[in-house]
Amino acid sequence: MKLYDVKLLTITCEILAQKNIIEILKKHDITGYTSFEVGGNGSRGLRGHGLETEKNVKVEVIMHEEKLSGVIEEISRTMFADFAIVLYVSDVGVVRTEKF
Amino acid sequence: MDILQLIQSNLLTPIILFFLFGIIAARIKSDLKIPEAISEFLPIYLLAAIGLHGGIEMRNTGFENMLIPMLVAIGLSLLFTLNHYQILRRLGKFNIFDSYALASTYGAVGAVTFSVGLSFLKNQGVTSEGYLAAILAVLEPVAFIMAIFLTNMAVSKQIRAKKQSFTNDEPSEIDVGLKETKTKLSQVLHESITGKAIVILLGCIVIGYIIGEEGFGSIRIVFDEMFTGAIVIFMIEMGIIAGQRLGDIKRVGIFLTAFAIIMPTFNGIVGVLVATAMGLSLGGAVMFGLLLASASFIAAPAVLRHAIPQANPSLYITSALGITFPYNIIVLLPIMFTVSTIVHGEESIDLFNYITGGLI
Repeated sequence: MKLYDVKLLTITCEILAQKNIIEILKKHDITGYTSFEVGGNGSRGLRGHGLETEKNVKVEVIMHEEKLSGVIEEISRTMFADFAIVLYVSDVGVVRTEKF
Repeated sequence: MDILQLIQSNLLTPIILFFLFGIIAARIKSDLKIPEAISEFLPIYLLAAIGLHGGIEMRNTGFENMLIPMLVAIGLSLLFTLNHYQILRRLGKFNIFDSYALASTYGAVGAVTFSVGLSFLKNQGVTSEGYLAAILAVLEPVAFIMAIFLTNMAVSKQIRAKKQSFTNDEPSEIDVGLKETKTKLSQVLHESITGKAIVILLGCIVIGYIIGEEGFGSIRIVFDEMFTGAIVIFMIEMGIIAGQRLGDIKRVGIFLTAFAIIMPTFNGIVGVLVATAMGLSLGGAVMFGLLLASASFIAAPAVLRHAIPQANPSLYITSALGITFPYNIIVLLPIMFTVSTIVHGEESIDLFNYITGGLI
């Protein structure tokens, strides 16, 4: 089976930052994403317990490489300073490249 | 002496004991935890019960006499928020974002504190005016809206100042920045008004008003008799969260710790006196004071994280939940009750003339 190379952008951030992420994605014409609640420990302390608003989420987005740098640039410029956030990119293969 | 006795007996009520128990459970690192669905459900339940009670009582008493207390509460809330800001910014040397975030956290109201207050009054055998629930709903967004507005004003002033120093800078980028701050405010306004707390509270006030005393009979067992029991369960959760944050209090600093105790005391006592002057009952004055004394810790992070992301959330959550909330329900509530008893007992008729006379 032929697999097409695309990029998987994974963003782990506080749940209240999720909305900003999705707005940025929308601005770059990306509407599809998957998010799930997670917990963990990081530079801003143990997260994912206590108040509802202090959970973390992991947002996964698959996109073509040409959109990637724009999205990452905007996330780092507008959000890195103020939010608990980690992002990384990996190479993945998909069957239906036209979906992304 | 009276106040101490009241604080002492308040300490031994189920609500406070369960709260302290939650703190201990968190401190010994127990894995005790209220299931998530329940701790999300309980605030909704508490607000529903508050709203229903308010609605029913407004039907009995009418709501024409609610307008003045509501406007006064809004005015005081705004005034206090500005006052907090000046204190935090000038004396506390906090940055502009933290100052506004903290100022509005303390200007806003706490629904959980309000529930505890109602239960405290019930314990003392005192009632309060039903329309205070409506004031709770109206006050919820007021302080945030003002703080966000003022923060955006300050930010756009900075941007404008920058614009003047780099006149050959690309103007488009700055215009975009200005526009973003403007849209943010309308977003926040919309979000806080359609937020679950206000929607459930206002919805239940309307339902309570429609069904009245007779309609309430069939659901009384859930929304009246279970009320204190539900708060008790929620207090375990609050205690656990507060207990987990006790370690952070050191990071909050002495200034903010003092602020988190002195400001609510001042605001609350002013609230009790003003409410008494407006003719509210003994219990009503305590609840009015509590509205102004309480700090928001459930709504605040959700609103502020979005509107003022530059502010450090651990400052305003830790001080509101870890310091002010326990202080309010354990110490300040009995103090305000005593103050209210004194001013209602002595010259409740003359007080209004006394205060207005003092002003003129």
